Amino acid sequence: MAITGMQIYKLLPKTNCKDCGLPTCMAFAMQIAAKQKALSDCPHVSDEAQSELSDASAPPMKLIKIGAGDAAFQCGQETVMFRHEEKFHNGTGVAVRIPASLSDAECLAKVEAINNSVFQRVGEELKTALVAVEVDGCSDPAGRAKAVADKSKVPLILMGKEADRLKAALDAVKDQKPLVFKADAGTVDVLAEACAAAKAPLAVSAGSLDELAEVAGKAKNKGVEEIVLAFGSENVGETLRNLTVARRAALKKTFRALGYPALVDIQADTPELAVVLASSFAAKYASIVVMDVVEPWAILPILTTVQNIYTDPQVPNTVEAKLYEVGSPNENSPVMFTTNFSLTYFSVEGEVERSKIPSYICVVETEGLGVLNAYAGDKISAEKVIETLKTQGVADKVKHRKLIIPGLLPIFRAELEDDSEWKEVIIGPETASKIPAFLNEVWK
Amino acid sequence: MILIGERINAGFKDIKAAIENKDGDVIKEWARKQTDKKATYLDVNLGTASNKPEDLCWMIEMVQEEVDTPISIDNNRPAMLKEAIPVCKKPPLVNSTLAIDEKMDELLPLVAEAGASIIGLVMDETGSPKNSDKRIENAGKIFAKIAEYEMSPEQLFLDPIVMPLKFMQEQAQEILKAAGQFGLFSDPPCHIVCGLSNISNGTTQKSLINRTFCTMMIANGLDAVILDVMDDELVNAILTAELIMNKSIYADSYIEAFRR
Amino acid sequence: MAVPDVKEKWSNAINAVTIGATKDEGGTRASTVTVGGQNTLPFMTFEGECPNKPVIAGYVADTVPDWPDVLKNAIGDEINSPVEWAQKCVQDFGVDLICLKLLSADPNINDASPEECAKTVKAVLEAVDVPLIIWGCDDDDKDNVVMPECSQAARGENCLLGSAKVSNYRTMVAICKADKHKVISEAPCDINLGKQVNILLQDADFDLKDVIGYQTTGALGYGLDYIYTILERARITGMQGDKLMAMPQICDIGGETWRAKEAVADDDILPGWGKLAKRGPMWEAVCAGNYLQAGADILVMAHPEAIKIMQQTITKLI
Repeated sequence: MAITGMQIYKLLPKTNCKDCGLPTCMAFAMQIAAKQKALSDCPHVSDEAQSELSDASAPPMKLIKIGAGDAAFQCGQETVMFRHEEKFHNGTGVAVRIPASLSDAECLAKVEAINNSVFQRVGEELKTALVAVEVDGCSDPAGRAKAVADKSKVPLILMGKEADRLKAALDAVKDQKPLVFKADAGTVDVLAEACAAAKAPLAVSAGSLDELAEVAGKAKNKGVEEIVLAFGSENVGETLRNLTVARRAALKKTFRALGYPALVDIQADTPELAVVLASSFAAKYASIVVMDVVEPWAILPILTTVQNIYTDPQVPNTVEAKLYEVGSPNENSPVMFTTNFSLTYFSVEGEVERSKIPSYICVVETEGLGVLNAYAGDKISAEKVIETLKTQGVADKVKHRKLIIPGLLPIFRAELEDDSEWKEVIIGPETASKIPAFLNEVWK
Repeated sequence: MILIGERINAGFKDIKAAIENKDGDVIKEWARKQTDKKATYLDVNLGTASNKPEDLCWMIEMVQEEVDTPISIDNNRPAMLKEAIPVCKKPPLVNSTLAIDEKMDELLPLVAEAGASIIGLVMDETGSPKNSDKRIENAGKIFAKIAEYEMSPEQLFLDPIVMPLKFMQEQAQEILKAAGQFGLFSDPPCHIVCGLSNISNGTTQKSLINRTFCTMMIANGLDAVILDVMDDELVNAILTAELIMNKSIYADSYIEAFRR
Repeated sequence: MAVPDVKEKWSNAINAVTIGATKDEGGTRASTVTVGGQNTLPFMTFEGECPNKPVIAGYVADTVPDWPDVLKNAIGDEINSPVEWAQKCVQDFGVDLICLKLLSADPNINDASPEECAKTVKAVLEAVDVPLIIWGCDDDDKDNVVMPECSQAARGENCLLGSAKVSNYRTMVAICKADKHKVISEAPCDINLGKQVNILLQDADFDLKDVIGYQTTGALGYGLDYIYTILERARITGMQGDKLMAMPQICDIGGETWRAKEAVADDDILPGWGKLAKRGPMWEAVCAGNYLQAGADILVMAHPEAIKIMQQTITKLI
């Protein structure tokens, strides 16, 4: 939320002295709100007013870093409730829990599994972001934390309710800047002091949002800069609603006490349910979700949800404009072209795979526009297709000169046949879903 | 867009005659016609036809017998409003107050108590504002009073005072500039309204000037307008401007869909 | 420290739409299903009401779809008969209604005749007593002859018929009005077109309160973000007062998921991504769960395990 003219006006001397060059303090306040003047243009403004205004103009949700250096995980600083209003900024991190009950060997094996929980998906690297070490019930919390920190490639969350154990563990790995999880009204003073001293982020929890604001306020007063709001999943519906209320309060009412990213500790009856809940919370509005399982079938759907939801809706996703081989095509395989809008490309690719007919797909650079939009926006033409086919050396790959073109661009046919070596242009289907039937009938 | 239909006004001969003859059918006919054209509020103005509260109340009752469109009471006298506000079945829009503390102290308690809304003209005892800064200063005064009576900014319709293009050509830009800043006062913001026909007073191209000015005002945050809602071209321009400002979702048949 | 009041005031509610008709209502269903009716964002009951929970429609087709074995085996041999498949959906999987897809009408599949399709519709209606969605084969010319037969065969049952598109809405409107069915208005991944189809339906004198919106569906990882945001925008606009956008929404989760690579290829093709038997149903369930958050009211689902997980999820969310 931008600072309003009325808020600024309250900070001004209200003398209408005109020293700022404007006739009234109100006009000056509005110019600041419109970002055409700065508060410092008023020679009479107090230091308190200055600092109040700079506080008020801080982002409504704080950016939090967990971990040290380049490997740090960062979350928060979200600005909108809905991705179409702008975009979601810092993707939800999946954390995997190391239960205290695990032996040292089992613990290290799980850390190894977390380190390996990395996936290459549609040109992006997706990975498990954090390891969550349980210290409650752990005979040597410091040793356990140290062992995990030494082996882990991702930052740590120290999980527990017992302040002494958390402090011991924090002390052992404080250089790693772990997230200390979690302080409640009873432990916030002790844990906040420890975190402030170690400059480590602290997660806070409470029975209600009002109390949570209270606990977060206490942590801040103790000098903790980076705070995470912790929620459980015992009552899923209530947590979902609390996350919405907390985010609205922070973003729309600039309620600083809840102006922090949220974490949901997922505990569900089955691991499958946990996966669905974690994905739902990633969409609405958790910045960290803590999971028990690390298996790819569980983690990948959550990471893919984050990949989808945190995509910038104003920027079309694209794939590299090059020649793609689906299956193992040979010199007799079909050749088709499409645009570099990723949704278009992946629809075509998926359907070609389904057809079980190995094919070449030539992707034309269209600035991320689909077929019709690219045509309407002059981003694709028969001439450009001919040029792309040439650059990608498609003619060297096959013996034939048959080219399948999108059913939405029949108009390209004549020019392609006249001006290129592709002498037999076949008009393909209008939608990708008809490709398997098309290839199986028309191509054969 | 909040469309405030201007036609039930004793400045029009047929309305004046209707009030004098207590001929409710004329009032009802205009209430129906403007409602069919999707007016959000129906402005009701007694003009010089009478100064009796019961006449104003009669007009409102006539409208309400025909349609359930909310009323905009075009009157600024507390004695009249005290009688007229309770007659309204839905919270009315009071049109209007000046940015003068004593005036606002008389009117706002009535408005606040009824949960009604009010149009605030950014004009004070010194007369019509000459530039955008003066308009903003006056708007600030109105905001302060609104807060004093614990009204939400959403109950306020700020009117930047539209002046005739033909006689005060330099004012139009100042009006646009002021409107552009009204939205920065508060969050949630207040509404921004204007009496559109002022801009074209005395000109030979009334409809075109109204329409053009209105779309420019919409680009500067206007979200309510007192207008001739029967002017289809004007309303079409408003619908289009709202699409351009991404205030509603485009569909090929957006005009037809609105008129249905 | 008191958290400020952040309740939103939504001026309009999403239409409540009932599918199915009991004996008293002129049909033969044991019960009906109502979706929509909410005047707040999904599950945000602190500021409004969500009177009807989201429902799951069991995906049933009149020919075995081109699906991976993990899905076909999970459904069982019943997949070979739409009647038995529908019965299994209701009795074993516990779905709220059936979505019968007349895939076999597709000229590229079996080119089944309108009479054959109508026979299937009748047989399914006799075999199960939950409400029915009847969905054509997505070939306009063929649907225009198949759907009228099927509509008539289901007369009085207050089915939901799919789908009315810009290219074929006249036929769908006419049969839904004549035989008193609800209709799905379809616009592929385009909110403006979605609004336009609804305007066309309204102009054809079809009551928009009898419409379910279908903005098509993107599988998880394959355009989910586009449809998610369209559903979210449509829901917000509808509740802000745009009556052309105030429809409950349907998502074909099963129909889309089981084409996605992650739900089709096992770990021999995707090494390190886990066994398909686990990954496939998760891909479907997570996709469904995400759309619930955007405002989906009817989820068409296929895998029994995914259906079970979503039933648990819905119970937890409300």
